[in-house]
Amino acid sequence: MLNDISIGRYYRKDSILHGTDPRVKAILYIVYLVAIFIIRTPVALAVLTAVTLLQAVMAKITPRIMWLTVKPVLPIAMFILLINIFTIRQGNPVFTWRIIRITDYGAMRAVLTALRLVFLIISTSILLTLTTTPLKISDALESIFAPLKAIHIPVHEMAMMMSIALRFIPTLVSETDKIMKAQISRGADYDTGSFVSRVRGYITVLIPLFVSSFKRAEELAVAMDARCYHGGDGRTKLNPLKITSRDVLIGLFYGILAIGLVVTDLSLR
Amino acid sequence: MKVELDKITVDKVSFSYRSDDTDGNAGMKKALNSVSAEIERGSYVAILGPNGSGKSTLAKIIDILELPDEGRVVIFGKDAGEDENFWDIRKKCACVFQNPDNQIVGTIVEEDTAFGPENLGVPNPELRHRVEEALKDVGIYELREREAASLSGGQKQKLAIAGALAMHPDVLILDEATAMLDPVSRDEFLEIVERQRKEKSLTIITITHDMTEAIRCEKIYVINKGEIAISGSPQEVFSSGRVGSCGLKQPENYALCYQIARICGEEILPADLASDDTLLECVMRMVPRMVSSFVPAEDSAVTDLSGEVILSIKHLSCSYDGGQNKAIDDVNLDVYRGEVFGIVGRSGCGKTTLVSHLNAILAPQSGEIIIHGKDGILSAGERKDKAKIRRTVGLVFQYPEYQLFEETVYKDISYGLRNLKIPETERRAKVEAAAGLMGIDAEILGKSPFELSGGQKRRVAMAGVLVMEPEILVLDEPASGLDPKGRDEMFRLIAKLRDNGTTVILVSHNMDEAAQNCDRICAIKDGRVQVVAAPAELFADRGKAESMGLDIPKLTQFSNRVKEKLGREIANVNFSEPAFESASEAARIVLAVKKAVKGNA
Repeated sequence: MLNDISIGRYYRKDSILHGTDPRVKAILYIVYLVAIFIIRTPVALAVLTAVTLLQAVMAKITPRIMWLTVKPVLPIAMFILLINIFTIRQGNPVFTWRIIRITDYGAMRAVLTALRLVFLIISTSILLTLTTTPLKISDALESIFAPLKAIHIPVHEMAMMMSIALRFIPTLVSETDKIMKAQISRGADYDTGSFVSRVRGYITVLIPLFVSSFKRAEELAVAMDARCYHGGDGRTKLNPLKITSRDVLIGLFYGILAIGLVVTDLSLR
Repeated sequence: MKVELDKITVDKVSFSYRSDDTDGNAGMKKALNSVSAEIERGSYVAILGPNGSGKSTLAKIIDILELPDEGRVVIFGKDAGEDENFWDIRKKCACVFQNPDNQIVGTIVEEDTAFGPENLGVPNPELRHRVEEALKDVGIYELREREAASLSGGQKQKLAIAGALAMHPDVLILDEATAMLDPVSRDEFLEIVERQRKEKSLTIITITHDMTEAIRCEKIYVINKGEIAISGSPQEVFSSGRVGSCGLKQPENYALCYQIARICGEEILPADLASDDTLLECVMRMVPRMVSSFVPAEDSAVTDLSGEVILSIKHLSCSYDGGQNKAIDDVNLDVYRGEVFGIVGRSGCGKTTLVSHLNAILAPQSGEIIIHGKDGILSAGERKDKAKIRRTVGLVFQYPEYQLFEETVYKDISYGLRNLKIPETERRAKVEAAAGLMGIDAEILGKSPFELSGGQKRRVAMAGVLVMEPEILVLDEPASGLDPKGRDEMFRLIAKLRDNGTTVILVSHNMDEAAQNCDRICAIKDGRVQVVAAPAELFADRGKAESMGLDIPKLTQFSNRVKEKLGREIANVNFSEPAFESASEAARIVLAVKKAVKGNA
């Protein structure tokens, strides 16, 4: 039922991007995030698509995995597309029927906004979640934000919390599935009925999910205690982060591509 | 107290925890009351006791995960009460807990194994070496780059023990670590433990409900109501006669001998329990007494299966990946009205997939399921029949107590009735009937389900399905996680449901349990039905059961050895078909010996 959700899942492969230092990937991710929101010309979009495809190839991500990642956000993207298409009134009308008026500018903007969302998800997946284990993402964040420790921000603890949250996504998804099945077999119906009754239906799923999450949290805390967890001081790492010349090259390569992308876009406006 | 360097000494330890009563008044509840124990370095010790007896608390106190209110714990010469020894002791004691999902921290297998030594500040390359060594020791080295969430339950528990071993502990504490595993994974897990113990001279403290696991140990402490009720070698403990009063059960091989001895009016000595061989000797010693003994007549409760098919599965197959791997493959089954039908197989064999079809949670991809209920003939493939099928077939999943959600027990049980739009006036009577059937007191109905004990919660969850008065009740591992007494109660309830006319389909990975409680058993392996037969028929021919690769119930395994030996010593002995409960199996053996000896004379 919920098993095909792949947001936040790690996809094990041996690729160049999998091997890249997670800090480099995290910084690149932010760079591309900015780039995605700056560009608006079709040429730049095409270049962005090409760069994204190159990333996917370098991460050895199959079209199927890509599709599974994008699929859950498509309804939202579609919704944004439709809202934009019908509400933006600037530009030259290309289609009018009664009160509906679609303009060339509106269509452009609508497609662009929807695509931005799709690219956002793809970038997040390729540069972070699919190619980097949650523990490494949190290691990267801990390392990037390490200077904040000086002003008493619990960087290590926050990173740990994040990695545990990511680690438990598959567990909680399968638990939700189990609870829903049990309630369906007791006559629950999540698909029909009024909006209110459907929301109420989901509440009956959330309560046992919360209760068991607290129980899990408690047990996990005891298990971490038993394994001598005592915060970040004096911890060593199985795979310490190390920036190699290859990481620098990859960072520079994609960094320059991103700058080129933005420059192209700005010059074409 | 003398300082003992080679002992774990627990000296008069008491522990209380906060437990508010139902009105919200703060109160304290005593979990342990002046408990003392001594555990030698390198020994293998079991702590037994019913759920809620305080045995897990004791284990936690040894690893300083809890601090005792009174008393002293000294671990290999280090006092657990002194702050300076805190990390030393934690480092020395490693734990494996019950639920594998709730102790895995890392996403990737090797990352998780490294978590403990990373916390200890072990530098590379030693860290990597430790991780690899630990993964090799438990046999999952080749899975080191896999996602932990994608492992099976048995593999996850091996990962948990690898994480513990990587810390290079002296003491390994297993807190019901095998409770959620199927018998095969459990044996694998225990073999790892025993091998590690020998290789690394580990001290093992295991907390368990599994009596066959307990007799592997050198010493047993039985805790009941916060106090040590019995302690000693397994032979001493299980011959003490007080085992039953502490909610425990004898292992099947002991039980059979005790039942034979009871019929013969003989005594069994602790020395007889040393091994299967001494047990066999003990049975042979009793042969002369068997001849003169009185064997109570068995009430011939032969089930009269009228043969009315209530549920029929034809050529059912299901695949989760578009046909490459089949979770279940061409399953054909007929279930008769009024029987307890067992579906038995290892974890991951397709049992749960199969039963999810039975009340239309999964629609058949190919094949069909026909249900002959009160509402006429229903087909699981038909959309219009879905609602009726869910009313006819009740499905209780594994650990149903985790799925309670309402404010009161009453509301939770009546949830299904509300979904069926049954008016409140009719609801109360139905809820009370279902609660009564499950042995739930009327006064509990107004309480919050989250205040109840684990066993009560499970019964509430089952009542929530029973209240819809299903003709067929499917129970997925209804006894998992319960202590021996709780298990017995559960199976008594199931027998009661059957007597009330409900057809029960019991899903289990435990052949002992199924053979004892089912009229017919269907063994499933890799998604295919191996065999469907009555248990007695299934295990009458030992060679056949073995050649099919069936798990043979522990009682039957030992009983077969007894029969083999008796067959060699006594001419013309003919054993009737096996029984799966030690008292009646003992009676059948004694009766057969009696007849043969009289006939020979």
